[in-house]
Amino acid sequence: MASLGETAISPEILTARRMAWLRFRSNPVALLGAFMVLSVVFCALFAPFIAPYPEDAGNMIDFATRHSAPSAEHWAGTDKVGRDILSRVIFGFQVSLLLVVGVLGLAVPVGAALGLAAGYFGGWTEFLITGFTNVMLAIPPLVMALAVGSVLSQTLVNAMFAIALLWWTWHARLVYRVAKSVAAEDFVEAARLAGASHMHILLREILPNCVAVISVKTTLDAAFVILFGATLSFLGLGVRPPTPDLGSMVADGRQFLPEMWWGVLFPALGIFYATLAFNLLGDGLRDMFDVEV
Amino acid sequence: MASGFVEFLIRRALGFIAVLLVLSMMIFALARVVPGDPARMAMGPAASAEQVQAMREQMGLDDPIVEQYVRFLRGAVQGDFGISLISGRPVTDEILRLLPATLELVIVTLLLMIVLGVPLGVLAARYRNGWADTLLRIVSMIGVTMPAFLVAILLQLFAAYYLSDWPLLGRIHQDFRSFEGPTGFYIVDGLLMGRLDIVGSALQHLAFPALALALAGIGQIMRLTRSAMIENLRRDHVQTLRSFGVPDRIVTFRYLFKLSSIAPLTIMGLEFASLIGNAFVVEMVFSWGGFASHGLESIMQNDLNAIMAVVMVSGLFFVVANLVIDILIGVIDPRIRLKEGH
Amino acid sequence: MALLDICDLNVAFTSYGQRTHVLRDVSLKIGEGQRVALIGETGSGKSVTSKAVLNTLPRNAAVEGGEMFWRGRDLLQTPDRQREALKGIEMSVVMQDPLSSFNPVFTIGRHLGDVLFWADRRSGKRRGRAERRAHIYDVLRKVQLADPERVFASYPAELSGGMRQRVLIALALMNRPAMLIADEPGTALDVTTQDEILRLLNDLVAQEGLSLLMITHNLGVVRMTADYVYVMCKGEIVEHGPLRRIFEDPQTDYCRELIEAIPPLYGARVRNQPVSTEAPLVKLEGVSKTFTRRHFLRPSEQVHAVRNVSLEIPRGEILGLAGESGSGKTTVARMVMGMMGASEGRISVDGVALADQRDGRIDRRLAQIVYQNPGTSLNPKRTVAQTLEVPLRFASNEPKARGRRIEELLERVDLPPHFAARFPHELSGGQKQRVAIARALAAEPRLIVLDEPTSALDMSVQKRVIALLEELRSELGLTYLFISHDLSLMRNFCSHIAIMLRGEIVERGTPAEVFEDQQHPYTRALISAVPVITDEEEARKPKVTQQERQKFLVSSAA
Repeated sequence: MASLGETAISPEILTARRMAWLRFRSNPVALLGAFMVLSVVFCALFAPFIAPYPEDAGNMIDFATRHSAPSAEHWAGTDKVGRDILSRVIFGFQVSLLLVVGVLGLAVPVGAALGLAAGYFGGWTEFLITGFTNVMLAIPPLVMALAVGSVLSQTLVNAMFAIALLWWTWHARLVYRVAKSVAAEDFVEAARLAGASHMHILLREILPNCVAVISVKTTLDAAFVILFGATLSFLGLGVRPPTPDLGSMVADGRQFLPEMWWGVLFPALGIFYATLAFNLLGDGLRDMFDVEV
Repeated sequence: MASGFVEFLIRRALGFIAVLLVLSMMIFALARVVPGDPARMAMGPAASAEQVQAMREQMGLDDPIVEQYVRFLRGAVQGDFGISLISGRPVTDEILRLLPATLELVIVTLLLMIVLGVPLGVLAARYRNGWADTLLRIVSMIGVTMPAFLVAILLQLFAAYYLSDWPLLGRIHQDFRSFEGPTGFYIVDGLLMGRLDIVGSALQHLAFPALALALAGIGQIMRLTRSAMIENLRRDHVQTLRSFGVPDRIVTFRYLFKLSSIAPLTIMGLEFASLIGNAFVVEMVFSWGGFASHGLESIMQNDLNAIMAVVMVSGLFFVVANLVIDILIGVIDPRIRLKEGH
Repeated sequence: MALLDICDLNVAFTSYGQRTHVLRDVSLKIGEGQRVALIGETGSGKSVTSKAVLNTLPRNAAVEGGEMFWRGRDLLQTPDRQREALKGIEMSVVMQDPLSSFNPVFTIGRHLGDVLFWADRRSGKRRGRAERRAHIYDVLRKVQLADPERVFASYPAELSGGMRQRVLIALALMNRPAMLIADEPGTALDVTTQDEILRLLNDLVAQEGLSLLMITHNLGVVRMTADYVYVMCKGEIVEHGPLRRIFEDPQTDYCRELIEAIPPLYGARVRNQPVSTEAPLVKLEGVSKTFTRRHFLRPSEQVHAVRNVSLEIPRGEILGLAGESGSGKTTVARMVMGMMGASEGRISVDGVALADQRDGRIDRRLAQIVYQNPGTSLNPKRTVAQTLEVPLRFASNEPKARGRRIEELLERVDLPPHFAARFPHELSGGQKQRVAIARALAAEPRLIVLDEPTSALDMSVQKRVIALLEELRSELGLTYLFISHDLSLMRNFCSHIAIMLRGEIVERGTPAEVFEDQQHPYTRALISAVPVITDEEEARKPKVTQQERQKFLVSSAA
C-alpha cells in the first residue's frame, strides 16, 4: 500500500500505546504512587519479617513498656498494653489489603457484569439494573455497613461482605456508562451482523474497551476501601481486637489524647500512607489512559 | 420549552419516589431476617414469655409479612415509624428533635464544599501545572485521602493545643443550652430573634465539624471542577471567543465556569449518601448530639424501628438533595430545559 | 503592499519529547481585496497555517522561523497584546463547526455582545448596551437571519446548523475586518445549505471589499470562492498560482492527482456503470417506517421516517440512495439489513421475506454493511485478524482455514498480510475502511450496504477505495446499496439512483437520466448545489431560482 495519502499516518497515532506509557513515566507523582503501593504490598506480605516485634501483632501484654514514647527501641512508641505500634501498623497493612482484595474482588466483577449487561442489552435489563443501582446509591454506605455488621457477627469476612454489598453500585454505574456508549458504536453492530453471540460481544468487543476505566476506578477505590474499613473499625465494627487494625488503633489511642499522641499519630499516618499510595497511582493511571471516572 | 423541563422534573420525582419505595422494601426485609426477637428486645430479658407474646401481638409480628409491610409503609408515609425498642418513645419524635442539628451541620458543609471547592477548582484549572495548581492538587489529594474521623480528631488536637478557648464538643455554649427557637437551627433562630451571641457561638461550634466533614468533598469537587474546566478548555467554543479577542479571564471565569459547574453538582448529588454516612462519624467525635449520632446508637443497640427510620430519613435526604440539584442543573443548562421527553 | 505576507514560516509540535515539523518554509501572500484559497488533504498543515496567523496555536506548538507581515508589520515580532488587538477587528475567522462553536449554556446574544464589548474596548470605541445590540441586529440581518431578536435570545441548541453557521459569519463581520479567514465553512452541513452559506460568504466579501483566505479540502468550493490558490502537502506549499492556471494546467503530480481524484458531474470524464438485466436481489414494496415519540404528559407524536418506498436492486447492480440528513436513506438501509423492522410493506432479499427470518435478522450470508466512519467501525482493542476472525468463526470455519482465509481477504482488499497483527490506531482512514470491507466480505454476502463509505476520507483515498469496490463487485458478483449525499461520486459509481426527500423517493433512474433531465425540483436544487471544478460542469448544471433553492433548504430555514 505505498499509495500517496494512505501512508501519511502521523507518528502520534502509531505510538498511542507508547504515548500512554510515556505519559505515565513522565509523571513523577504516578511513579511515586506506584512505588508507595508496592511498599505497602511488600510490608503486608512480609510483615512477620519486617516488623521489629512481630509477636506484638497479637494478644501480647507487656505492662513494663506501656505508653512509652517513641524511642530507639520503639520508633513509634507503644500502646496501652505495651505493644510496639510500628509493628502493629505494619501488620495493619495486612488487614487493610485483605479487606481491599476481598471487597473489590467481590464488588468489581459483580458491578462490571451488571454494568455491561445494562449498557449492552438496554430495555428492561437496563431499566431494572440502573433502577436498582439508584436505590442503592440512596443508602448511606456507612449506615448499611453498620446495620449489616451489627446484625452479623463481627469478623473481617463479614465486614468485607457488608462493604461489598454497596460497593458494586459505583462500578456498575461507571461500566454501564462506558458500555452504553461503546455498544452504540458501529463495530458492535458489525459483530452482530457477522453472527457473533451476545457473550462474544460482551466479553470480547465491549469489555476490553472498559478495562481502562475499571482499572483506574479499582485503584482509586482501593484507597476508599481502606478508608472505609478504618472508619468502620474506628466505630467499633468490623475487625475485632487483638487483630491489628489501623482504624481501631486510632480509636484506642484516642482515649489517651492529647498526652500520648503517638498512639493516634502513627496508625493515622499508616492509613494516610496507604490511601495516598493508591490515590497517587490511580491519578497517574487516569492521566495515562486519559479517562474520567 | 418550559413544559419539557417540568416533564423532566416530574419524571425525576416519580423516579425518586420509586427509589424510596424500593428502599423501604429492602430495609423492611432486612429488619425481618435479622436474628433476634424485636418483642423480646423491647421488653428486656426480665420479661416473661407471656409478656413477650403479648408484645408480639401488640407489634403485629405474627401477622402475614405483606400486611406488616403495608402497615409499616402506611406509617412511614405519615411519618410514624413506631416505638423505639430501647427508649420506648416514638422514633419520629426522637428524630425530629435531633434533625435540625444534623441538617445545620450538613447544609453548612455543603455550602463550604461549593464555596471552597468550585472556585479552587477553577483556579487550579486556570493556572494548571503552575505552583498554585500543584499546591491545590496536593491539598485536595490530602482531603480525599484522610478519613473524616481522622480530620476531626486532628482538628480537635489542633484546637486543644493552639486555641485554648475554642469549644471542642457540642453545638452551642453551655450558657445557651436552654435556648429554644422556632426552627431548631441555632443560626436561623439566632438571626430571627436578633441574638447574635447565639449565632456566633453556633458558628464557632460548627466550624471544625463542618470542615472535617467537608474536606473530602472539597477535594473531590475541586478535582472534578478542575478536570471539567480543562476538558471544556479543549472545546471549539473557547477557541471562538479567543479568536475574537474576548479576554482569557472572561472566557475562563464566566463562560467555562458555568459550563463546568454541572459535573461537580451531579457528583455532589450522588455522593450525598456518603456525606450523611460521614456525618455519623463526625457527630460522634464532636459529641454533636444529632440525628446521625442517634442513628449510630440505634444501630449499635439493634433498635430495629429506629434503624429503619434512620435509613428511610437518610434516603429522603438523598432524594430531596438530588431533586434540588436537578433543578439547579436545569437552571444552568438550557439543553435540559429544551430537551423533549424520549 | 500585501495585506498579509507570510515568508518561510516554520512550525513544529512537541509532544512527550517527540518533535514533529508541521510547517516547512510556508510562504503565502494575500493582497487587499484578494480571495485566496489554501487547499490540501488531511494533515497537510493548512489549519495550522491559519492558527499561526491568528495566534491560536496550541501550547505545544512553536514557530521556529520565518516572518509574517500584516500591513508591513511583522506579527512574529509584535507583542501578544497587540496581536490580540487585531483579532476580530483587522482579521476575523469563520469557524468550521457550527455545532460546537458556541458555549451551550449561554445565549447567542451573550456571545456576540461580549465579543463586541471587548472589541470596542480595544479599539477605544464608546458604545452603550442598546447601541451595541442595535449593531448586532444589523449584522445578523446582513447574514440573512430574518429574525435577529429571536436569534439573539436563543441558546445555540435552539438554532439549526445553517443558522449557527450564519451567526458565526456574523461574528466574523462584526467589526468590518480587512480579512476573513474561513476554515472549511459549512463542511458539516448539507449540500444545499453549504451552497447557501458559500454564496452568502461570496456576496459579503464582494460587498464589503474584504480579503478572504479560504481553507478547504474541497476544490469545488475553491472554484466558487477564490481567485488565487495555494496547494499544501505535508506542511509545504507545493504549488501556487491563479485559480484557472492551477485547475487547467497543474504543474506538480500531487496537484494533478488531487484534481483527477474528483469525480466529474458532467463532461467527457464521466463514466456510466453497466445496467444489469438480471432478476432483483432486493425488493422493497410499499415500505414505511414510523417512529413513535412518546411523551410523558402530552400525547405521543408520530414521526414518519420512511413513507411508501418501493425499490428493486437487480443482481450485480449498484443502487445509489441519495438525500440530505433526515431524508430517511439510512433508515431504508437499516431495514434492508434487517436491523430494524418495517412498519408497513414487504422487504425481501434473494426471494426471502425479512419478516419470515428468525427475529427479522437477515442471514449474514445475504447482506453485510460497511459504515461511514472508519474510526468507529473497527474495535480499537482488537487486531485486524481478530476483527476478521469473528465472521469466520461464527461461520464455523476450521481454525487453520481461518488463518489462510484472513490472508486471502487482506489480499483481496490490497493490504499486505502482516497487517493482520495491527490495531486500528496503527492504520490510516483508508486502510481501516479496507479492513471494514474485508470484514463484510468474510461472510461471503451477496449484498453489501455501503453507508457513505468514503465521506470521511480524503479525495485521493476515496478514489482508490471506490476503485477497489468496483473491482470486487465485478470479480465476486456483488450487489451494492450505496447510501450517500455526494452526487458527483454517485454519478460515476452507481447503475441506478434514487433520491429521497423527507422519507419519500422523489426521483429515480439511471445517473445519465437523472443528471440530464430531472423530474423533481428537489433533484434540480440538489444537483445545482454541488460544487464543481470546471466551467463546463457549471454550465451544464440545472439552473435554479432563488425561490426554488430556498424551498428545499433542509436545515437552515430560519
